[in-house]
Amino acid sequence: MKENVVSATVFTLLLFLNTCLLNGQLPPGKPEIFKCRSPNKETFTCWWRPGTDGGLPTNYSLTYHREGETLMHECPDYITGGPNSCHFGKQYTSMWRTYIMMVNATNQMGSSFSDELYVDVTYIVQPDPPLELTVEVKQPEDRKPYLWMKWSPPTLIDLKTGWFTLMYEIRLKPEKAAEWETHFAGQQTEFKILSLHPGQKYLVQVRCKPDHGYWSAWSPATFIQIPSDFIMNDTTVWISVAVLSAVICLIIVWAVALKGYSMVTCIFPPVPGPKIKGFDAHLLEKGKSEELLSALGCQDFPPTSDYEDLLVEYLEVDDSEDQHLMSVHSKEHPSQGMKPTYLDPDTDSGRGSCDSPSLLSEKCEEPHANPSTFYDPEVIEKPENPETTHTWDPQCISMEGKIPYFHAGGSKCSTWPLIQHNPRSSYHNITDVCELAVGPADAPATLLDEAGKDALKSSQTIKSREEGKAAQQREVESFHSKTDQDTPWLLPQEKAPFGSAKPLDYVEIHKVNKDGALSLLPKQRENSGQPEKPRAPENSKEYAKVSGVMDNNILVLVPDPHAKNVACFEESAKEAPPSLEQNQAEKDLANFTATPSKCRIQLGGLDYLDPACFTHSFH
Amino acid sequence: MNIKGSPWKAGSLLLLLVSNLLLCQNVAPLPVCPGGAARCQVTLRDLFDRAVVLSHYIHNLSSEMFSEFDKRYTHGRGFITRTINSCHTSSLPTPEDKEQAQQINQKDFLSLIVSILRSWNEPLYHLVTEVRGMQETPEAILSKAVEIEEQTKRLLEGMELIVSQVHPETKENEIYPVWSGLPSLQMADEESRLSAYYNLLHCLRRDSHKIDNYLKLLKCRIIHNNNC
Repeated sequence: MKENVVSATVFTLLLFLNTCLLNGQLPPGKPEIFKCRSPNKETFTCWWRPGTDGGLPTNYSLTYHREGETLMHECPDYITGGPNSCHFGKQYTSMWRTYIMMVNATNQMGSSFSDELYVDVTYIVQPDPPLELTVEVKQPEDRKPYLWMKWSPPTLIDLKTGWFTLMYEIRLKPEKAAEWETHFAGQQTEFKILSLHPGQKYLVQVRCKPDHGYWSAWSPATFIQIPSDFIMNDTTVWISVAVLSAVICLIIVWAVALKGYSMVTCIFPPVPGPKIKGFDAHLLEKGKSEELLSALGCQDFPPTSDYEDLLVEYLEVDDSEDQHLMSVHSKEHPSQGMKPTYLDPDTDSGRGSCDSPSLLSEKCEEPHANPSTFYDPEVIEKPENPETTHTWDPQCISMEGKIPYFHAGGSKCSTWPLIQHNPRSSYHNITDVCELAVGPADAPATLLDEAGKDALKSSQTIKSREEGKAAQQREVESFHSKTDQDTPWLLPQEKAPFGSAKPLDYVEIHKVNKDGALSLLPKQRENSGQPEKPRAPENSKEYAKVSGVMDNNILVLVPDPHAKNVACFEESAKEAPPSLEQNQAEKDLANFTATPSKCRIQLGGLDYLDPACFTHSFH
Repeated sequence: MNIKGSPWKAGSLLLLLVSNLLLCQNVAPLPVCPGGAARCQVTLRDLFDRAVVLSHYIHNLSSEMFSEFDKRYTHGRGFITRTINSCHTSSLPTPEDKEQAQQINQKDFLSLIVSILRSWNEPLYHLVTEVRGMQETPEAILSKAVEIEEQTKRLLEGMELIVSQVHPETKENEIYPVWSGLPSLQMADEESRLSAYYNLLHCLRRDSHKIDNYLKLLKCRIIHNNNC
């Protein structure tokens, strides 16, 4: 019995359920509020999505309560927003307050509630699109044509009181184009477009946005036809500029192609080669020797330390009548007296001086009062004796041991180097240097002639260079005129006449200080048996002073008894040598002594004075 | 004396009096610069423009900071439910719609804005301190907090200038709502602490929007005479 009841009950229930299912009626599904929007911060609308309705008519109701309130309210307006919406009017809308709302779906079978939604009107603001978009093509007469757009804000938005703030954006494109050209317009309600393609149909749209919120939808497109005569002045200008620049480029290319290398050198000048510091080739050409010398500064030649290899003991100065000076080879002591060995002035071998036959004049025809001895550069000669091989002044060196020899002294003394080893090269070198240093036109210029060259030739070359400096020569000669013309050679102490048949005396170089100044001593005669004591400053007379440059640029050396071992030219500048001719000679001596260090040219062991330097004193 | 002259005199006097009264009617009721030229070196228009720029900027920063915080720490966890009635400035009688805003008078409106700004000095300071002291300091959030604190101070100064120009007779009213949420920021429970931060940032976002809206209203009202 019981079993029958139970089974009957189950059967009935199942039948009922079957009937219901066949009808399709269910409680409604869960709705969902999916969107709320406020177009003006004064009203807002919420929309929900209904769930399944269960086949029965379903009622939806939206209930809400606000932050800070406990009372539940129902949606005031289900109509305005459309189906499944709730619209909140002005009196129901509050800013800066959270709304908690939910939707209730009810049908016969039951009801269901949606989830609660927390909404703050502040953050759901989205305006409607702007209205009345008008677009025009404006072509003023004196200005460029442009596209003029104007629109108005959407309705119901209060801009005047500042409650709402709107910003706009426009976009446009030619009808067939794929991408839009967008422009931000700020808070203005009009806009100008300047760059347009003539003859095309354009689409224009505008949208707006609150200061804090969402962009509106784009307004409906407005069409505008750009007239074909829409002149784009900019384009014309740019085209002409492009054509002009193309023409200019072509011209440049053509010029480069023609000129080619010269243009390249103009743009990239060749790197100049090394040059001697202070040496100006232009000065060389112009013949301004003193400027060149001053620029070079004649003192830049390093002191030689290896000249000892080429030492020659002493030079024998010959004062024979034909005015040859000879130099003695090293290790070859000449006769004690004068050996009038004629040296071919052309050959400079064995000569250890800047001048080939000798620095000293060989002509000793007349005595002279000037005790100083001159260094007579080889190449300096009287212009009136071009033909003779006598390149020397008719002067000779004083006798009696006063002949300034260059003696190969002790270690401290510099000696004239032996030229014979490499006479020509050294002469060449020295000549070159001297030539470079002095300049072509300087009369007392080059100390050395080229070894291989004819003295005549050298003299001629010198002369040619001298011609450029006639003034200098005249001054030299004027100086000479002041001295005893006939006695260019100054004996150290005595006024021994030239031409006296005195044996040659050797002058030994006492020492050469670091500046290259020579201090000379008369060499003791060997037959005297006295040991050479070149370094006896008290007894020996050092030819350490240049008293002047005589005619033909012969240096006149004087002994300087006051000079010490280390005496050099400079130190004895202020002391008048004994029995020295006063006045002009002294003046020049002073001038000379001021410059000799400058005039030292030491080259490969050769110690030379550059008489050209002394010409500074003349000027 | 002169019987003929006296009515003329009386008439001219009366005319002068009437014309003076009429002219006086046109005097602006509220001088823009009552303090005199010395205190009006910056025009009120410029002051308002500057204030609006600052308030707009501060709200943008607050909005971004809130979004970043939510995205990183609290998204989808229903923290918004705990923000109900959580702002310390809710006690202030601030207008909540346009009509209320238009009813409030200018002076009260300005002092309201100043009160809100003053009440946020301390919370912003603690926000910066606490965020800086976090274990993994979110650099973006910290930088925005620092900037908001700085700009709020400037805005307050500007507002005080505006008040001194528009209502120089206003007594200094230092009353403002006090924030007492610091203990919540320092709670050990992460959920509670995160909730406190969320509330603070939520309130900051809201109040900065309020100030921005109010200033734009006032600017249009005072400077442009409700004709923006």
